[in-house]
Amino acid sequence: MNTGYNLSSAPHDRTRLTTSHIMGLVLLSLLPATVVGVIVNGWYALAIILLSVGTAVLSEWVFNLICKKPATIGDGSAALTGLLLALSLSPSVPLYIPVLGAAFAIIVAKCCFGGLGKNFINPALAGRCFLLISFGKAMSTFAVDGVSSATPLAEMAAGRAVNVTSMFLGTSNAVIGSSVLALMVGGLFLWCMDVIHGQICFSVLGGFTVFMALFGGQGLDPKFLLAHLCGGGVVMGAFFMATDYVTSPVSKLGQLVYGLVIGVLGGLFRLKGSTADSFSYSIIVANLLTPFIDTYVVPKPFAYRKTANKQAVPKKSGLIPKPVIALTVITVVAGVALSGVFSMTKETIEQQELEAARASFRVVCPEAETFAESEEANRALEELGGGVYGSIYGRVKINEAYIGKDAAGSTVGYVVSVTSSDGFDGTITLALGLNAEGTVNGISFTELHETAGMGMRANEEGFKGQFRIRDVYPFKLTKAGEADDPDEIDAISGASVTSNAVINAVNAGLDFYQSVMKGGN
Amino acid sequence: MSSNSLILIIVGGALINNVVLNQFLGICSFLGVSKQMKASASLGAAVIFVITIASAVASLLYDYVLAPLGLDFMKTIIFILVIAALVQIVEMFLKKTSPAVYRSLGIYLPLITTNCAVLGVALTNVQNGYNFIECVLSGFGTAVGYTIAIVLLAGIRSRMNEKDIPAPLRGAPIVMISAALMSIAFMGFGGLSF
Amino acid sequence: MKQCLERLWNGLIKENPVLVLMLGMCPALAVSTQASNGIGMGLSTLAVLVLSNLVISLLRKVIPDQVRLPAYIVIVASLVTVTELLIKAYLPSLYEALGLYIPLIVVNCIILGRAEAYANKHTPLLSVMDGIGMGLGFTVALTIAGALRELLGNGTVFGAQVLPEGVEPMGIFIQPPGAFLVFALIIAVMNAIGIKTRQRELVEGNGCDGNCAVCASACESRPTPAEKLTEAPKTVEAKAAPAAEAETVKGGENR
Repeated sequence: MNTGYNLSSAPHDRTRLTTSHIMGLVLLSLLPATVVGVIVNGWYALAIILLSVGTAVLSEWVFNLICKKPATIGDGSAALTGLLLALSLSPSVPLYIPVLGAAFAIIVAKCCFGGLGKNFINPALAGRCFLLISFGKAMSTFAVDGVSSATPLAEMAAGRAVNVTSMFLGTSNAVIGSSVLALMVGGLFLWCMDVIHGQICFSVLGGFTVFMALFGGQGLDPKFLLAHLCGGGVVMGAFFMATDYVTSPVSKLGQLVYGLVIGVLGGLFRLKGSTADSFSYSIIVANLLTPFIDTYVVPKPFAYRKTANKQAVPKKSGLIPKPVIALTVITVVAGVALSGVFSMTKETIEQQELEAARASFRVVCPEAETFAESEEANRALEELGGGVYGSIYGRVKINEAYIGKDAAGSTVGYVVSVTSSDGFDGTITLALGLNAEGTVNGISFTELHETAGMGMRANEEGFKGQFRIRDVYPFKLTKAGEADDPDEIDAISGASVTSNAVINAVNAGLDFYQSVMKGGN
Repeated sequence: MSSNSLILIIVGGALINNVVLNQFLGICSFLGVSKQMKASASLGAAVIFVITIASAVASLLYDYVLAPLGLDFMKTIIFILVIAALVQIVEMFLKKTSPAVYRSLGIYLPLITTNCAVLGVALTNVQNGYNFIECVLSGFGTAVGYTIAIVLLAGIRSRMNEKDIPAPLRGAPIVMISAALMSIAFMGFGGLSF
Repeated sequence: MKQCLERLWNGLIKENPVLVLMLGMCPALAVSTQASNGIGMGLSTLAVLVLSNLVISLLRKVIPDQVRLPAYIVIVASLVTVTELLIKAYLPSLYEALGLYIPLIVVNCIILGRAEAYANKHTPLLSVMDGIGMGLGFTVALTIAGALRELLGNGTVFGAQVLPEGVEPMGIFIQPPGAFLVFALIIAVMNAIGIKTRQRELVEGNGCDGNCAVCASACESRPTPAEKLTEAPKTVEAKAAPAAEAETVKGGENR
C-alpha cells in the first residue's frame, strides 16, 4: 500500500472497505454452506475444497511471479474463486477435477486478462463449465456410498417426487454447497452489509420464479417452484455468482435487466436444455451481455442533448461494362472446364459410389449373391419421389431397397438404404440388412461424418453391434447403459443427436420393409 | 412444416449452432472486428442483409436452374458471384444513403464477399435440402448469430486494456481466449430442443 | 534462388498464414481435431494454393482490376471443384479420409488472401514458391494444433494412445472452445519465445495494432522499422495508405 498522497477528483468518499475486506466478508458468508457441506459429505468434500482453494491461490501466485507483477493473492479473490468452484462440485468427483478447474478458472478466465477487475467472465463459473465440457461423465456422477444415484433435479426431470426439505437443508444428493438454508443465511448477511446488490439477487430469483411459473407446466404449485429454486445452484448463483462486481453491470437499471436475463435464461435452460447445469451457463451468457448493458442501459448525464448531424450526400456511381465482360468470360471458361472434368469423372464416381453401396449391402446381408430389384419397392420409391419418408422419423429418405437372393435365386434377405439428414454434422447414410424372416441382420454405414470420439462411435461395434440379429420393430433409444429389453438400444453417451438420427433411420427402413417389401416375394 | 421447426431453424442458426463459435465460419472477420460495438452492429446489419438475400437467391437459383439442369457442381461458383454482386449493391446503396456508416465500415464491407459464413450458409442450405422459406430463415438466423457474436466480442474488447494483458498474449491470443470463453458460454444453448 | 527459399521461410514462420496473418482460421479451427486431419487438409490446401497462385500470377495482367476479387474467387472455386472431382474419381481412399474438407478449401481465406497480396504482383515462379511456403506453413500449424488437441482431448496422437489408459482426457479440446484455446496457446508461445514474425516487427515499429485479420493484404506494403530507415520518403505514403484505403474501399488499387 502506498503512503504518499492520493490525487483524485471530487467527489470523495471515504470508506474502510477495501477489496480484501469485501472478499473477507464474502468468504465469511460462505462459511455456513461450507461447514454444512463438509458435515454432510465427509472429509473427502473437505479435500476437494482445500485442493480447489489451494490450486487457485497457487496458480495466481505463480502467474504473477512469471509475469513479474506484484502479488495479488492477499486480496483473497483467488481463494474465493476456489471456494465457489469447490462448493459447486459433486462430492464424489476425482481429485484432479478441482485442481484442473481452479487452475483454468484463475489462469485463463482471470489472469490472462490482467487479474482482478479485468476479467469479463465469472472465473468460478468459467472453471465449472470448462469441467462440465471436459469431463462430462465425472462431473455428473453423484454417488451415495459409492453407488451412483440421481440428483434431486434429475429425479424431477424424470417426473419423480423430491424431498424439498432435504434440498433446503443441504442433505440431499447434490453438490457440496447445496444447503439453501446456509447459503441464504450468508447471502442475506451480505445483502444487509450492502456488499451485494439486491437488484441482482432478487431479480434473478424473481425472474426465474416467474418463468418457471409461466412455462413450467405446473402453474403456481409451490412445491414445484420451491423444488426448482432449491436445486441446481439457483440460490448460490443468485447471491454469490451473479453479484460479482467485475462481471455485472454498473447501473441499477442495468443490474435489474442483468438479473432478469439470468433468471429467464436459467429457466429456459432448465426446462428445455439437456443438462441440469442451467444456471452456470445462464450466468456466463449474461456476463457476455454486461458490456452491452453497460453501454446502452445508462442514465443520461444531466443536460445531455443529441446534436443533429448533417452530411453532404455524394453523387453517382455507375456500372462499368468492360470488367463485367472480362468476368463473364472467366466464368464461362471456368464453367466449361468444370463441365469437362465433371463429365470425365462422372462415370468413375458413380461406379465408386455403387461399389461402396454394394460393399455395405454385402456386409449386412452376407448370404446374398445378388441384389435384385423389387417392384413394390421401386414403385413406392417413385411415389415418394425423393421426399421425406413418414412423419415421425425426422428428415429421412429411403434411397434404395433390394431383395437379396442366393445363387439359386431364392430370397435370403432384404436390404434398405436409408439416409437421415438429422445427423449432428451432416447426413448419415446406412444400409439396413434383414434376413428372409425379417430379423434385423445388422447395419452398415456408407456415410458417417460425425464428431470424432462422439458421433463417430456409431461405427464401433459397441453401438452398431446392438442391431445384430434382433427381431425387433421398432427400436427404442435409451440412455447409455440403460438398455434392458431387446428392443432398446443404448445411445452413444454424449452423442444423442447422432444416436437419434441412426435410430430413426433404422426404424424408417424397418417401416419401409414392413409396409412395402414384406410378404411380397 | 410446423412453426415450431421454423423457430428452431432461426434460434438454432443463431444460438444453438452459432455460425462463428460452433461452426467456425466467418472467423477471419470475427477476430478482426473493431473494438466499438456500434461499428460491429453496423457490419452485422450489412451481413444480415447480404446473407438473407443471398440465401433466398441461391435457393431459387439452385432449385429452378442448377438442379434441374444437373449443374450441381457449378453451385459454388454461382453462389459466390451472387454474393459478390449483392455486396456491390450494398456498397453502392450505403455510399448514397448513409456515407457516415459507409466510411465507418471501411474495408469490412467488401470483405463480406470473402466471408466464409455467407458461402457456408448457402452451401449448407443445399446440403440440408431446405425449401425456399427454410433457406431464408436459416440464412437470417445464421446472420443474426454472427451479429450477436461480433457485437459481444466488440463489447468485451472495448473493456480490455492492452497494458494489463501479459505481453505474449497481447493481440491475437487474448482475442482467441475471449472467443474460447464465449464459445463455452454458448455451449449452454447446445442441448436446447423445442 | 535465394528469393525462392525466402518465400519458403516466409510462409513457414515469418508470415505463417494461420498463426501470423490469421488467414484460413475457419478451416484451421474446424479441422484440427486430430493430427491426421491437419496433414490431410494442409496438403490438399497446399495443392490448391500452388495451382491458384500459378494461374492467377499468369493471368495477372489480364484480369481487370475492378472485378479482380470475384474473378479470383471463380478461379479458386473451379480449381477446388476440379480437385474434388479428380480425387473422388481416381483416389477414392484419399477421398474417404479427406472428403468433406476439400470443399472447405473454397472458403479458405488463405488462397484468396495470397492471390490478392502476392500472386497478382509477382512472377509465376515466385508465386508458386509462395504457395508452397504458405501451404507448408498452414500444414505445419494445423498438424501441431491437431496433435495438441488430439493429445489433450483424446489421449492419442495420430491415433496412437499416448496418455496412459487411466488418465481421463479433457474433452473440451476436441470441441470448439478447445480449438480457440490451443491456437491462442501456440501463438502466445511463439510470441513468448520471441519468434520474430513480421507482425511483431510491425507492431513494435510501425504502430500497426498487429491485427492481421483486418489488413492482411496491406501487410506487404507496410515497411518494417528496418525498411523504414532506408526508404524515408515512403513513410508518408505508408501513413496515407490506411486513410486512402477507407476511400478506395471497392478494393481499388494495390499499393
